[in-house]
Amino acid sequence: MEYYSYVNIFETKGLAYLLLLSFLVLGVLLIRYLSGPERKDSARGKKTSATGG
Amino acid sequence: MTTAAIPTNEFVRFAKFFLQELKPRGKWLTPFNVISIPVIFVGLIILYFRFTQGLGSVTNLSQQYPFGFWIGFDVMTGVALAGGAYVICFVVYVLRLEKYHSILKVTILNGLLAYIFYSGALLLDLGRPWHIINPIIGNSFGYNSVLFLVAWHFLLYTGALFLEFSPTIAEWAHWERLRKFLTSLTLGTVIVGITLSMLHQSGIGAMFLMAKPKIHPLWYSEYIPLLYFVSSIFGGLAMVIFEGTISSKVFSNLIGAKTHHSHEDIILGLAKGAAIAMFVYYFFLAFIFMHGEKWNLINTSWGYWYLVEVIGFVLIPCFMFAYGVRNRRFGVIKFAAIMTVLGVILNRQNVCLIAYNWYVVDKYYPSWQEITVTLMVVFVEIWVFRWIVTRMSVFSKE
Repeated sequence: MEYYSYVNIFETKGLAYLLLLSFLVLGVLLIRYLSGPERKDSARGKKTSATGG
Repeated sequence: MTTAAIPTNEFVRFAKFFLQELKPRGKWLTPFNVISIPVIFVGLIILYFRFTQGLGSVTNLSQQYPFGFWIGFDVMTGVALAGGAYVICFVVYVLRLEKYHSILKVTILNGLLAYIFYSGALLLDLGRPWHIINPIIGNSFGYNSVLFLVAWHFLLYTGALFLEFSPTIAEWAHWERLRKFLTSLTLGTVIVGITLSMLHQSGIGAMFLMAKPKIHPLWYSEYIPLLYFVSSIFGGLAMVIFEGTISSKVFSNLIGAKTHHSHEDIILGLAKGAAIAMFVYYFFLAFIFMHGEKWNLINTSWGYWYLVEVIGFVLIPCFMFAYGVRNRRFGVIKFAAIMTVLGVILNRQNVCLIAYNWYVVDKYYPSWQEITVTLMVVFVEIWVFRWIVTRMSVFSKE
């Protein structure tokens, strides 16, 4: 029977899963980074207008 | 006046108008003219020898290297960098982001000229160029070849780009009724154009699927059509930033104040799109690398060269775009755009020439004639672009 190690990250394609997770996390961070300052300004603007300011 | 006389009169009027428009405007002795005119002249002489004495007289092509610098640069790279046209059309007509409307016409014109000149340059590289019509007229369609798809898509997409730009031509020629009719076709043409463009950008990559044994494993992947498509998005956007920056300086008198003012905002939006597309592309490359288990290839000279391309011309420009957008650093964005364009050129050269037949000792290097003719094609395209933008309302006057 062929030996298969469940703890070998290469054999289990664990690295591919980790890469996928890092892609999702870093993707969100990138979008937040790209639209960071503008979003704060617009959120503040909405808050001000909502309170009638 | 008889009805037959009306078209004749119109033809005479247009012929006179066209001859008038052909006359040069502005200064002749400019640095660009001084450089480009001799190159075009020498290029024409080389083309004379190419068509009278064959490809072997001016190129270093061989049976081992059928794709040379003309196809590698003009067709592969030129078409990828012309991707800005379909991306901007998608953004304006499908996403309805009106902010980018002011650069729509000039981007379509750039795309149209790129397709005419760069895919037209394919004629130079074919041993028997008159056979190029075969997939179109049915003299051996070649359904089984990816080239059949690419040939039809090139033809149809160039036609679609011409239709998208044709209202501007009709306006220039004072054909008001025709302009209205052509404008009414725009949306349908744009949708067809976007579809065709997405398919043939990946189709160009698909041509290399049959060259698996010849391309170095670091560059070969069964996902190469997807990589070509995604890289055409950020390559096209980077080219729009690059060309827009040059045009806003060279043709500043033709651009309206409002468009000048919104130029920075447009650059920020394009850079944001490029950063996201490059981020996705980088992760595609990483997935392909891991899935293909290519670890043992990375610690070789080819591996280092691969890292230069992937880190130096994808990851670093991606960070530079993001940094430039966040901090409104336009110098950084423009530099990143140049690096991205160079990265797309490098990627296409790697797949097509450098990592192609990588095991062969007798490598292909382009001859000086091939480089001169490529420069000639680029210069002639710029001449035609300049002629059009100084006569037609390509830039927004607002």
